[in-house]
Amino acid sequence: MRDQISKYTHKLISDRSALAGGIAFAAQDDTLITGGNADLALLAEEIISGLNCLGLVFARPSLPFADLLVRRAPAGEHSIVPRDTETRTFLHDIPFLRSFELGDDPARRIAQLLGNRKGVIVEGIGIVASGAVTIEQAYINYSSVFHSTFVKYLQDVLNEGFLLPGEEDLFSSFRSEWLRHLSAEGLVFRTGPLTLPEEIIREVETVGRYTVERGLVDSFFGNISARAGDMIYISQTAASLDELAGCIDPVPMDNSTTTGITASSELLAHRRIYEESGAAVILHGHPKFAVVMSMLCEEKDCPIRDCWKDCPKVRFLGDTPVVAGEIGAGGLAKRVPPVIGGPGKAVVYGHGVFTIGRKGFEEAFRALVEVENWCRDEYFRLLA
Amino acid sequence: MHGWTGKILRVDLTSGKAWREDIPLELLHAYLGGRGLGVRLIRDYFMFDPFAPEMPLIFAVGPLCGTAAPTAARLTVVSRSPLTGTIYDCSAGGMFAWRLKAAGVDALFVTGRSARPVVLAINGEQAELLPALELWGKGVHDTVSALAGEGSVACIGPAGENGVLYANIMMGEGNSVGRGGLGAVMGGKGLKAVVVNGEGTTAVADRERFDHARQDVMRLFRASPVIFGELGISEYGTPALVDLMRQRRMAPTENFRKTVFPDSGNYSGPAIRKACGAKKDGCFGCPIQCKKSTPQGEPLPEYETVSHFGALNGIASLSAIVRANSLCNELGLDTISAAATLAAWGEAKGRFPAPDEVAPLLVEIAQRRGEGELLSLGSRRVAEALGKPGLSMSVKSLELPAYDPRGAYGMALAYCTSNRGGCHLRAYPISHEILRKPVPTDRFSFSGKARIIKIAEDTNAAVDSLVACKFSFFGATIEEYAELLSAASGMEYSPQSLKEIGERIYATERFYNCANGFTSADDLLPERFYEEPGSSGEGIDIPPIDRQRFNEELQKYYRIRGLTAEGTFADQGFLTRQP
Ligand code: SF4
Repeated sequence: MRDQISKYTHKLISDRSALAGGIAFAAQDDTLITGGNADLALLAEEIISGLNCLGLVFARPSLPFADLLVRRAPAGEHSIVPRDTETRTFLHDIPFLRSFELGDDPARRIAQLLGNRKGVIVEGIGIVASGAVTIEQAYINYSSVFHSTFVKYLQDVLNEGFLLPGEEDLFSSFRSEWLRHLSAEGLVFRTGPLTLPEEIIREVETVGRYTVERGLVDSFFGNISARAGDMIYISQTAASLDELAGCIDPVPMDNSTTTGITASSELLAHRRIYEESGAAVILHGHPKFAVVMSMLCEEKDCPIRDCWKDCPKVRFLGDTPVVAGEIGAGGLAKRVPPVIGGPGKAVVYGHGVFTIGRKGFEEAFRALVEVENWCRDEYFRLLA
Repeated sequence: MHGWTGKILRVDLTSGKAWREDIPLELLHAYLGGRGLGVRLIRDYFMFDPFAPEMPLIFAVGPLCGTAAPTAARLTVVSRSPLTGTIYDCSAGGMFAWRLKAAGVDALFVTGRSARPVVLAINGEQAELLPALELWGKGVHDTVSALAGEGSVACIGPAGENGVLYANIMMGEGNSVGRGGLGAVMGGKGLKAVVVNGEGTTAVADRERFDHARQDVMRLFRASPVIFGELGISEYGTPALVDLMRQRRMAPTENFRKTVFPDSGNYSGPAIRKACGAKKDGCFGCPIQCKKSTPQGEPLPEYETVSHFGALNGIASLSAIVRANSLCNELGLDTISAAATLAAWGEAKGRFPAPDEVAPLLVEIAQRRGEGELLSLGSRRVAEALGKPGLSMSVKSLELPAYDPRGAYGMALAYCTSNRGGCHLRAYPISHEILRKPVPTDRFSFSGKARIIKIAEDTNAAVDSLVACKFSFFGATIEEYAELLSAASGMEYSPQSLKEIGERIYATERFYNCANGFTSADDLLPERFYEEPGSSGEGIDIPPIDRQRFNEELQKYYRIRGLTAEGTFADQGFLTRQP
């Protein structure tokens, strides 16, 4: 367990979602162990003692967005409702505790809320998330809350502007200090077409790692595949894109075996994209600005309420088509394939970006970077 | 009242009386329904012999039954197993559960023994015992057809009548209450069938909240590759696992001597679809529809059944496997135990049954004649009688299903800590060790597994008390079901409070077992798994299980559960402090 705590502490630092020195984990085996920031570890220990789960992370996020959302929320509200599809699907809502609500026994209050949900925001302290089964699961839930609050805050600022004293300064330091230039420069890709299974698998592993290292996926969510003849080599469900060794399923195009039952939930979308576009590889990630911008719609008097799943239109972000659709067996697998072939890229409302490469991953990777950079520029242009 | 009906229907078969009573609300809130309620209601009886007239046979529905909660038209049957001697529960989906609730009860509690075969007919408030002499001896199909006009049917076949220790209770729509031989308990009572009809509805306290939670569940189902993925169980049924277990090299073969069967492709999900024209089928009201049937409506075998009548007995013929499945359904036999008993017998005799020998043997088992007399007792008794006790691949006499424990160490541990014997469904670690849900764990490591198994056992005890289907949790979590329950019942439940309820249920079951003499000596795998390797290859090594590491993790499990090193209760007053 200690090795897991150390592994995920490093991940939180390297993906820059938490402040180094502001991270604590607690885990229960037959004994309870903790690690990291002493104050937070103490709290984490008390909280997990009241819960029937294996792991817990309590960390100070590297950005103030979660706290700002709490402070911007009207007095009677107790939770944040994420708008992006991924977190909406898996988290539903994110409860928060304001500092004055913590009382004499903050651990008990937090445990009560965390007994209901996968992650909670505690104003002034940080984000706390649990993992029923593993420490990794606690890390994933933390990352989901971080991603979700990032997206929602950016959206709210665009819609409502800055509401709190000092908020604008915090935002500009986010822009000038936290955000990094995104690019594909310096990365080495194999030139396709890739045909040998070992070669494909190695390239999928490498490119998966690139997407995480270059910050194109939140924590490690997303999926990646390559096609060779009748086979699709696709990352497994719940696989870390930066640790894909042993987590790539070979799936025949004709469904003649079901070993791919562990493949990504987007297998159907990948298969249809291959069938309709002639792509050789597919990349899918959830870069944050693309997620934010995909939900910006100027349509007036539109009768559709659940835009994220029901919008029938093809909108555009620059030259990238945007379609709606639920993940998995929902609508995304129907709506993405028809639009992605020409431009080689498509955005799914509130969800993320798909890109393809006709030969190898370089084209797909560059397209992913380009879409996110365009969305980032457009976001700041609109905000100005 | 929301969620529950608050009523129990008691039937004493000895006196022929049936009457309704109130169930104290605190019990419903503390044990929910289904498995939990049954386990609580059996508290004064758990030490009776499974075949004693006093031993109750309890059919309990849950607070979500009768609502639109996905996969919740289910019930649990609870009693003591004649096969394992443990407390026993089994959940089954279908219209029967729905109608039992609609008849206005949360539980049906049957005790006593009828001098002559009877059918219990429940129609709303009315309950009566009807003579069933002409049905006795009939197969499941004929029994169901004879009673179908009166409502939904749960019945036994010849296997239950004759006391086969792994006889099922079969539901009219093809579902079964399987594994531990509760069909034999029913047969011992002279109860051929229960037929139920009712018009009542289950009141939901907060409709809007309920609908919202339901949509959350459905969205998670759609996002789950195992449920609605194009290779998932909705498409191919549980035989979708055949190829995966082959690829992971953990498909029990030839009585667990090997872990790869080269011909398993004959009965994979796609192969069954092609050969049998499989169409979607499933429990009443379930959106997943994981069961598959022929175009004529004949149920097709599930994963465990194809694998055990297939690989475990070295049989490659899909038609022989389908036939064995249909016959078990007709005779009211548990397919896993039947196939595994045949495999143990086959290994002991030096020859596994040939495909065309299986059907006649199953008939002999159900009738307890010829070889069937011995085979009807299950693999442990068979192997002991043949002087080769090590060949029964069972834990607490319950035959292991089709996941070789050498290929998933959490599964190895969970087979042993299961309160009903070697069952995969108590903690279902296959979910994370193989299917990567909710997150993957290392299948060849014991690290953390004791805690993971304990949490999953608690969670699943709550799930079995709602009652919801385990397969829902390939997508949804206890979080969404807690929300459904809160909305339906008007009481606040959280994932944490449900796990606490599950923990209480689990501990109670273990307490009963300990009081009936079970200790850590019963929490062990068959020797084979510690001594012989599985079939390594293709870069996957399947070594024997490290006994010392296994024992360490088992001891951790005991400590986490607050048990002694012998796996027993230091505190003999445990039960008296439970609600
Ligand atoms: S998933 Fe299958 S077993 Fe479960 S309720 Fe649905 S049809 Fe029944």
